[in-house]
Amino acid sequence: MDVSVTVNGTTYARDVEPRKLLIHFLRDDLDLTGSHIGCDTGNCGACSVIVDGVLVKSCMLLAVQADGASIETVEGISENGELTPLQQSFNEHHALQCGYCTPGMLMSATALLRDNASPSDAEIKKALQGNICRCTGYWNIFEAVKAVAK
Amino acid sequence: MELLRPSSVEELDGGVFVHGGTEVVPLLRDGLLEAETLVDVRGVVPRGVSDGVIGAGTTLGELEVEPSIPDALREACRLAASPQLRNMGSLGGNLLQSSRCWYWRLDYPCRLHGGDRCHARDGEHREHAIFANDFCASAHPSDVAAALVALGARLRTNRRELRVEELYRLPDEADRHTTTLEDGELILEVELPDVEASVYLKAMDRKRWSFPQVGVAAARVGGGVRIALAGVAPIPWRIDSIEALDNATPLPRTEWKLPLARALVGRALAQLD
Repeated sequence: MDVSVTVNGTTYARDVEPRKLLIHFLRDDLDLTGSHIGCDTGNCGACSVIVDGVLVKSCMLLAVQADGASIETVEGISENGELTPLQQSFNEHHALQCGYCTPGMLMSATALLRDNASPSDAEIKKALQGNICRCTGYWNIFEAVKAVAK
Repeated sequence: MELLRPSSVEELDGGVFVHGGTEVVPLLRDGLLEAETLVDVRGVVPRGVSDGVIGAGTTLGELEVEPSIPDALREACRLAASPQLRNMGSLGGNLLQSSRCWYWRLDYPCRLHGGDRCHARDGEHREHAIFANDFCASAHPSDVAAALVALGARLRTNRRELRVEELYRLPDEADRHTTTLEDGELILEVELPDVEASVYLKAMDRKRWSFPQVGVAAARVGGGVRIALAGVAPIPWRIDSIEALDNATPLPRTEWKLPLARALVGRALAQLD
């Protein structure tokens, strides 16, 4: 089935098997391996991407359902090759240990800060509810997001 | 497998319906659902809230911040799943969630799969039902369904109008389904009556993002109080009063749910006053 999507500003047209998940399409067909597959069951949030402005788990969506959509992945959030303030803050606050959950955490926090530049502590925690860090380094992740909240 | 994208109800012609994907995609992947034709119904099902009518395609994420809907429904949406899944999952799809019973999910030949025994009754059943659990002991997972039953909401499908309660049926020997939805029938809208006050309370294994151990929805509607529970029976379970909990038939390892239900119903009723 023909699928055309825009990912991080680049349009891709591909013939896609309808059963293929969006995360597999991004990683295997488009070679965008920044989004991770953690659990493959909609739990861990490592595969979080933004589809038409909405944060989703790309292991719970078929690639064909995203036909025509504009998708943002972790590869696309940096600006002119520079880390965003959020990414820089993750670095400074040691908000990653093994790094596996980081792409999803960054996308959830990016979606939050886009909707709400001044989130409260509770709003930050709520926004990160759907992302599991298997190193359990939640506090530094929270601190990193809080540091860039206005 | 092919995917169709109809743009009107008239174009519907069989197949497995998919909206947000959070229910259907895992079932397909686990082989619990088979589809030659998938039908993406996002172009067919209304989305948004207007004058007490909610498009069944409205996501839980949209409803959890919708000020015009009753508290019980908004709270049930807010307490379900994770933010990403609430951004994807539709109201209609949430009502049609399959059992979370691990035996069913692992494709044991249980009664819901057409077999002749409920493996949970004899096996592990901590999460399971305390009502109507003789034939199948699974516990209905939908917070939203319990809220809508308590609110006295009605559904409009492409074929009929019905009360939300009428969407559900207990499975039996002759018919193993837990809904009355026919093949090709699609939920389009949810209509809410005027609600004076409502509340949804939910006990979970962790503070957020979990299926209900027990969920309690209570609403004052038309001068009366309606109560419905999630996580206690194979379908959303309506009770007339807190005393009706005395009629529960818990299994050995679901007895703990009974005092939990009693406390939550008591608290919900107190909050309505």
